[in-house]
Amino acid sequence: MSEPTTSPEAVTPAEAGTSPEPAPSPPESTRTGPGRLLVAVYGLFALSASARAAVQIATKFGHAPVAYLLSAFAAVVYIIATATLTSGSLRARRIAVVSCSVEFVGVLAVGTWSLLDHGMFPDATVWSGYGSGYGFVPLVLPVFGLLWLRRWSRRAKSRRR
Amino acid sequence: MSSVNGVVPTIIIIAGLALAAYALLMTALNRRMGLSLLAALGVLEILLLVLIVIIVARLIGGGRPAGLGVLIGYLIAMPIVPVAAGFWGALERSRWGSAVVAVAGLVAAVLMVRLHEIWPAIRV
Repeated sequence: MSEPTTSPEAVTPAEAGTSPEPAPSPPESTRTGPGRLLVAVYGLFALSASARAAVQIATKFGHAPVAYLLSAFAAVVYIIATATLTSGSLRARRIAVVSCSVEFVGVLAVGTWSLLDHGMFPDATVWSGYGSGYGFVPLVLPVFGLLWLRRWSRRAKSRRR
Repeated sequence: MSSVNGVVPTIIIIAGLALAAYALLMTALNRRMGLSLLAALGVLEILLLVLIVIIVARLIGGGRPAGLGVLIGYLIAMPIVPVAAGFWGALERSRWGSAVVAVAGLVAAVLMVRLHEIWPAIRV
């Protein structure tokens, strides 16, 4: 199920070809403009979190099962966010809002949990200590993601009117 | 115990941070990714490839880190970083392409610290 090609966001090749590209052209999709940076960072975390979770689960799962399962869950959330922000269709943006929200709640919950109960986390996850092992990027990333998606939903609404 | 010369990782950290600073300056000046950033990414790529050759030579020479699988994963991922940033940043027509390059520079620096943690023989 994709957006119809007559969507107001679609730029026809004719339009794109004739315009001499105005200097600060607004982003055409969730993956352009600031979204370019957002997708790059999400992609980075999708890759590193998946690799980390895969190694942890394959080599020493019994050592810290909760932490490693949470690592794997974080990896899935990052993969979904990367894919949906890259796609940028209406449905993808809706999924992205959910995944970024889950991500934000996850960072806050796992971050608090890891501080309260060290025994459950003998090994760190991406979200331990609110992402302190990753320069707190996991904490701010979903906030920027949601702000970026809100801008898009507002734009879509204003165009519908 | 075999050790990997610390000069190359140190150069990569400095180069990565310098590239990140330069790319962020370009972002602040509202410049899209240009030839200079692309060339800088190329230099970073060459430095990373040199380091990979050094590490692989040490592995062949009999050095064994505790987390060999993780190290091999890093060796595979490392050279992809500048290339992926170059393509993804070049697709962008705004300042945000330069910001993508800044991320690659920071990642290269962080990777050196992580490499040292995985295999302390890789000095920084």
